[in-house]
Amino acid sequence: MEASQLQRPKAKLSKQAWVAYALIAAPFLLMVLLIVYPASLSIVRTLRPEVEGVRRFGLENYQAFFSDHTSVTNLIFTLWSTGAIIGLLFAICLPIALYLRFTDSWIAHWVQGLALFPLFVPGIILAYALIRFIGPNGLLETFIEVTTGWQGYRTPYLKPAGSIIGLVWEGIPITVLILTAGLAQVPDNLIEAARDVGAGRLQIFFRIILPLIGRSLLIAFALNFLGVIGAFTLPYLLGPAAPQMMGPFMQRTFYNVLNPDAAETQAVITFLLSSIVGFLYVRSAVRQQKEET
Amino acid sequence: MTFLRRLAKDPFGIVIFIALFLFIIGPMISVVLWAFSIQWRYPSLLPTEWGLKFWAQTFKRADILQALPLTLMISFIVTIVSAIICLPAAYAFARIKFRGSQFFLLSFLATNAFPRFGLYITIAVIFLKLNLISTILGVVLIQLVNTLLFMIWIPTAAFKGVDKSLEEAALDVGASRFRVFWQITLPQVIPAISAALLLTFVGTFYETQGAILIGLPGIRTMPVLMLSLINNQLVVQYGAILSLTLWIPSLILLLFARRVLSGKTLAAGFGV
Repeated sequence: MEASQLQRPKAKLSKQAWVAYALIAAPFLLMVLLIVYPASLSIVRTLRPEVEGVRRFGLENYQAFFSDHTSVTNLIFTLWSTGAIIGLLFAICLPIALYLRFTDSWIAHWVQGLALFPLFVPGIILAYALIRFIGPNGLLETFIEVTTGWQGYRTPYLKPAGSIIGLVWEGIPITVLILTAGLAQVPDNLIEAARDVGAGRLQIFFRIILPLIGRSLLIAFALNFLGVIGAFTLPYLLGPAAPQMMGPFMQRTFYNVLNPDAAETQAVITFLLSSIVGFLYVRSAVRQQKEET
Repeated sequence: MTFLRRLAKDPFGIVIFIALFLFIIGPMISVVLWAFSIQWRYPSLLPTEWGLKFWAQTFKRADILQALPLTLMISFIVTIVSAIICLPAAYAFARIKFRGSQFFLLSFLATNAFPRFGLYITIAVIFLKLNLISTILGVVLIQLVNTLLFMIWIPTAAFKGVDKSLEEAALDVGASRFRVFWQITLPQVIPAISAALLLTFVGTFYETQGAILIGLPGIRTMPVLMLSLINNQLVVQYGAILSLTLWIPSLILLLFARRVLSGKTLAAGFGV
């Protein structure tokens, strides 16, 4: 009698569990088929090049990539741009996030609105807008010339700075969003206590705030890193034709050069580059989720 | 006077505001000016001739008339398919206890953990063999990838937030399970679900990277068409007018966002 009573809820649970598995099966399978499967297949395939009609394990694809001057230049250029973009994003967004955390004025509301605005501007429209703004004879050049008479403006359009400006513009909202979410968790009384014992602004920032927002910094870093390495539209439209960032380079290899094998190798190299960052991002999100439940 | 005094209290804020305004809004202003200009000769600060002449021309172009309904159709298909497969899953994640639910929920983070375009290349290699390149099915599939995380995580959070005591009370007075779901559970999650639907629709409408890789040469969605207009069009106004028109769905999202989307809802989609 007692045993059956104990077992009943358990049996009911497992029947419900089957329903749950049935309900999540479709999106999970789709995710596996469209993400996990292509990604792992490409990793395996690029490690098994076809030599004289036979597929076997070997590093020929990667040797070909790293002995090709254009490929290596593009890879280094991508990493260099990524570093510059993330550095700029933190330099711009951290002060904004700090300002938003400690100020409650109507200007702060407007600043927040402006910082989040790019979230609602699609990349393709941004690309067009930036060409008209910073491009040759664009609004910015005209504005500078009309107001100051200075004629030395040199456009960043189709230069490395072009794609950097575009990707920074696009990265501002999530960076501000993530950093303000992190700063919201820094307790006021901790900062007041530090102020009471005479800590200066810089000291409070480096000793108290920075250690407490470590996870937000990591997530902001990871999402921007993955975003920039995996970007196509903005570097394609705003950046230089050579050197190219990996996104447009892969597209050219796949579509114009018609060499899907080489494009696949390039793709797997972007995976490897971001594997640590991707792992840290997922781990951090997993921890966050577990703490909440 | 009081206005100026209030400004003087927050000098740092004003500096940030002006800098952000120039950087963020400046490019948008040039699009609006171009869209309503007939002629704009350098170095004039404003268009030399204003007018709507190019609006009629833009919407007479055969490529645009073809791309617009196609893009709307693909976005609708993607949104509906995504909702049909993801919403029941979100309900299961929120309301049913089962082994590994945490793992399965977190597995959808994989959509964010890969550099996007590299992932698309690996998908394109498979689609090439399956003859899915340049087909609507191929474009729909690749665009579905982007939608999974938002369409599962946001509704899951919403279903978790449903007040269970109301449901139990209704069951106690004899309401059927279906009626409880329809009249009590659903109304509470509608705002978050419509936010997820809108985000999915708008995101798909503008999706460029997957569409260009999988869709070309046969399927040309609006953003892909826009890409070629930017690259090879001598008439600047076409791009500007298209940008403004294409921005309408996003504008609706922006207005809607102020009411429904909190920063927290958005953050949920990034795994913050």
